[in-house]
Amino acid sequence: MRSFLPAVAEQLFRDIQQTHQETSQIPDDLLIALKFVFGPCALQALDLVDQHSVTCLSSPSGRKAFQVIGGSGRLYTCFVSCHYCPCPAFAYTVLRRNEGLLCKHILAVYLCRATGGTQQESVSDQQMSALLGGTAAP
Amino acid sequence: MSSRKRRRCYKDVKCVFFPDDVVNKVRREAPSLSSASKSWETCGDSFVDTPVIKNLKTPGRKQSEIRKSPASVQTSAGKEDPVHIAWSSSDSEQSGDETQEQQEPPQRPPGRPTAPLQSYTRALRMLRTEREDLPAIDTDSDLDECEEDAEEDSGQQISDCQSESFDERQEDPSLRPTDMTELEISGYVSDGEDVDVTSASSRPDSPPQTAEGSKRSVSGWVRSAQAMLQTPQKPQSARQSKTPEDSAKKRRKFQSGGLAERLNRLQCRQRSAVSFWRHQSISDTSTTTATVDRPGVLLLEVLEVQEECSVQLAHCEHRPPPGAGHQHRKPLSEGPARVLVVFNRETAAQLIPATGDIVHIYPPWQRLSIEGFRCDVILNTHFSQKVDSANHLRGVSAPRGLLSAERCNPSSLCQTFGLLEGCRTTAESDAKQVAASGSLTSGVLARHCVSLLEAIEGLGQAGSVGQDVEVVVQRVYSIPVPHCSPVSILKPRLPSRSPSAAPPPPPPEKGKTRLCVLVQDSYGTFSVVQLHFLPRQDDLHQYCHKWRGRTCLLRGIKVVQRVTRERSTRLFSLIDSLWPPVMPLKDHGNTPSMCSGSRSAGAAPSFCYLLSGQESSVEPAEEQTVSPLYLPPTKQTLQDILQSERQTCRCSFVATVLYKRNMQSGDVGQGEVWLVLTDPSLQEPERPRRRTVALCVSTSCALTSCVLEALNSPAACRMSFTDAIREHGVLLCVEQSVVEMCSVGPDLTSSSRPESPSLPEARAETPPQPVRLDPLSPEITPNSVCSLSGVIVGVDETTAYSWPACNLCGSDNLEMFPERPSNIRCVSCKSSVDKPDTRVQLDVFLSSSLTNCTLKVKLQQKTIASILNTAALEGQEFPGYDVENVLGREVGPLAAYVRVVTRTPALWIGLEEICL
Repeated sequence: MRSFLPAVAEQLFRDIQQTHQETSQIPDDLLIALKFVFGPCALQALDLVDQHSVTCLSSPSGRKAFQVIGGSGRLYTCFVSCHYCPCPAFAYTVLRRNEGLLCKHILAVYLCRATGGTQQESVSDQQMSALLGGTAAP
Repeated sequence: MSSRKRRRCYKDVKCVFFPDDVVNKVRREAPSLSSASKSWETCGDSFVDTPVIKNLKTPGRKQSEIRKSPASVQTSAGKEDPVHIAWSSSDSEQSGDETQEQQEPPQRPPGRPTAPLQSYTRALRMLRTEREDLPAIDTDSDLDECEEDAEEDSGQQISDCQSESFDERQEDPSLRPTDMTELEISGYVSDGEDVDVTSASSRPDSPPQTAEGSKRSVSGWVRSAQAMLQTPQKPQSARQSKTPEDSAKKRRKFQSGGLAERLNRLQCRQRSAVSFWRHQSISDTSTTTATVDRPGVLLLEVLEVQEECSVQLAHCEHRPPPGAGHQHRKPLSEGPARVLVVFNRETAAQLIPATGDIVHIYPPWQRLSIEGFRCDVILNTHFSQKVDSANHLRGVSAPRGLLSAERCNPSSLCQTFGLLEGCRTTAESDAKQVAASGSLTSGVLARHCVSLLEAIEGLGQAGSVGQDVEVVVQRVYSIPVPHCSPVSILKPRLPSRSPSAAPPPPPPEKGKTRLCVLVQDSYGTFSVVQLHFLPRQDDLHQYCHKWRGRTCLLRGIKVVQRVTRERSTRLFSLIDSLWPPVMPLKDHGNTPSMCSGSRSAGAAPSFCYLLSGQESSVEPAEEQTVSPLYLPPTKQTLQDILQSERQTCRCSFVATVLYKRNMQSGDVGQGEVWLVLTDPSLQEPERPRRRTVALCVSTSCALTSCVLEALNSPAACRMSFTDAIREHGVLLCVEQSVVEMCSVGPDLTSSSRPESPSLPEARAETPPQPVRLDPLSPEITPNSVCSLSGVIVGVDETTAYSWPACNLCGSDNLEMFPERPSNIRCVSCKSSVDKPDTRVQLDVFLSSSLTNCTLKVKLQQKTIASILNTAALEGQEFPGYDVENVLGREVGPLAAYVRVVTRTPALWIGLEEICL
């Protein structure tokens, strides 16, 4: 069976991005739609966006990863190429229960990308490999 | 304050539906009310949902009275007695006080302050002492019925009939969990109102109910009880998770002015929108057919349901409103027939959508168009209501669980959403970006690309195109800046009354237009590039001259959308007019979609891209020659266009505008404009099919200021129309059409390339004077012009009147000199008017060569003057006219504009004499 929800989510992100590029804001209807599609996650993710909690790490070799500072101050590393977050909500809601597309951290990454609110930071290749390998928490 | 509490109690009474409810309820009553519980026991078998506590005070009351539904008790409360009125003077809440009297539970559930309430009921009791012989409540009025219906049905129809009390009923939503509104609304309950959760959670879901049920029969109850037993219980956790306030409980302060704060506020507003909306629907109490007429309600038939990530997606088809018969299965002709409706978990749990169900979705829902999707997606479906269950239709009573929706496999974690890679927003900090770039996209950036398809599809997803793409600019035009944001595809559907409606977008700057180019690459792929706003509309000419027909590099563009033929037929009619290309196209080789070597025989493309860029995004290549791929618009004669066989096509022509008519008041350019055109080919002595042709300039066609000026002046003018649409025999100027004033020289379109020779230069450029018009014929269409002659057979006396006007400037803005009332002054030209003209408005009925046809013509002054006694019009006082003298007068031939054509029951044509 064809899956539609990812397309809905993607179009929302696209709309948010385009609107934000033109008007530098997200209109109310898109916020409401975001809330409708992602549920309570949306509010928390928007809070993360407001707090500038998303950082894009890049290494000289061209690898990238996202780091999100959760509400508790914990750092979550999310990946560019796939949906993964080490947070418990992701493990439970997304992976185990299949009740959500994303957790709030990944949602925040998307929203930050759409609104250009991502912090940029360069790390060394060594740091990056430690990060992606899950052996370090910079 | 007190009324609020009273309503709560009322609700406690009212929501009792099942015997075990009663037990629960009674358990909360004070011991002194044990007689009430006894009476409950006596009537418990009959599933009576009555507040019986009243028996305490009216012990002699018959059992049948007890059998009243709470709703009817409520309505009858208003009719009771003067005592009530005395109370209602202090509180307009009618239903509240009476039910309060019935309940008066001395012991309230924990958390509710009860003291003021009790004193109030005590006071009431004192007042009620002489009311023993109340009229029996079971005076079954229509209103009672109505209320009762609503009580039962509100599970499906959100048109809650008692908005005030409904508010309070939310406290105990799962008493009637099929009541979707209630569930939904329970999402908006504020903290502390969730009082009855414990008793609620012990209750199973009540059955799906249909809107037809007008009275709750015993069999209905049995059926619902059966269904109730089979419907899975809703877990407590699910119920709790749906209130936004759950997150709000642990809410920390959101950043001021941040997005989260705004969304939070929006949620609150949405909540108030719900109550407002509920308030609105008091009037249409019960029947679902009434609610259907409300604007913005979607009537959908569910075709297929699937579940994905705890939301349910229903493929639906539009249904015509009821009343058009019940057997119809065909979709509405207008709009996309199919939509994909997303129901969130709570809505889906209540609605239990299944194949064959008829579902109503009330505003504010939102429509989201997704690239590459045939059907739109409907979001924000909080107010959805099932009006016709498929099971009910088939006579199946078995309830369906939530499992009726097929569950989708979890989507791949690798399927990311396209924003993560490739697109780099400008807002990112430059300093840090240095470190970030040079990684993913480098190496591709520098390449020069000649294929739009490669450049765009190579991105994988929407984003900016890093490469320069070589294209040929086929068309340059401008579009009016739409009223709403051009990018947001979300269309909120809110009734204007709703307080949650997004603030209206700022009105567009008048006449602001955006420059667009239609480009084609050497493989044949088309794209529309939306560029900057034109500072002045007339600059379009300059860009036409600079770009059209040239090979240009597209630089720094972003992909907005992939547009398909189905969704943008107008644009593709323009692309079709550029197909087949004038030269053989390149071949993408292994790209399957573009494989044929000789593309001239192939079909026109079925998609194109909508791109956006800046002025600098289009850069003409070095050579100043016209690309061989450029296909200029072919100027045709109107005669050729009218004879064309094709149903829909783009056409370009030069024509003389004989007459223009604005559909809205105000200047030309504010709304739709109808033009009556002719050209020499239609004026030739040998009779062509038609002498004139009507053209509609829609508001989506941007008009330059000099064109507007010409259209606002009464004189006839010659104009060039490029890429107008001929659609079903009507000429239209739309988005991509360009209307220009005709320059004197032969280079009509300011292109460096000579235009098509199909319009012989030698031919007279202006039509002969006087212009030949079509005679009036039965086939005539509105907004056209014809010539007309006939005999006056009647005068529309109701519209005939006369007024004085200045004999110098014609203005009717005259005033009397206060000192000399006999003298009149014209306000417009500031001159003294000695002999004002008399203007007459006269509509006459003509009999002409057309038989069985009523012709009503609004005449112009000069014709009126010729009909009436001319001398009379010159006098100070218009003496009026004698109808007898007017009848039988011949008029014509006149040039007349056809305003209205009615063909049933008999041909009736309304015309207006015009001056060409």
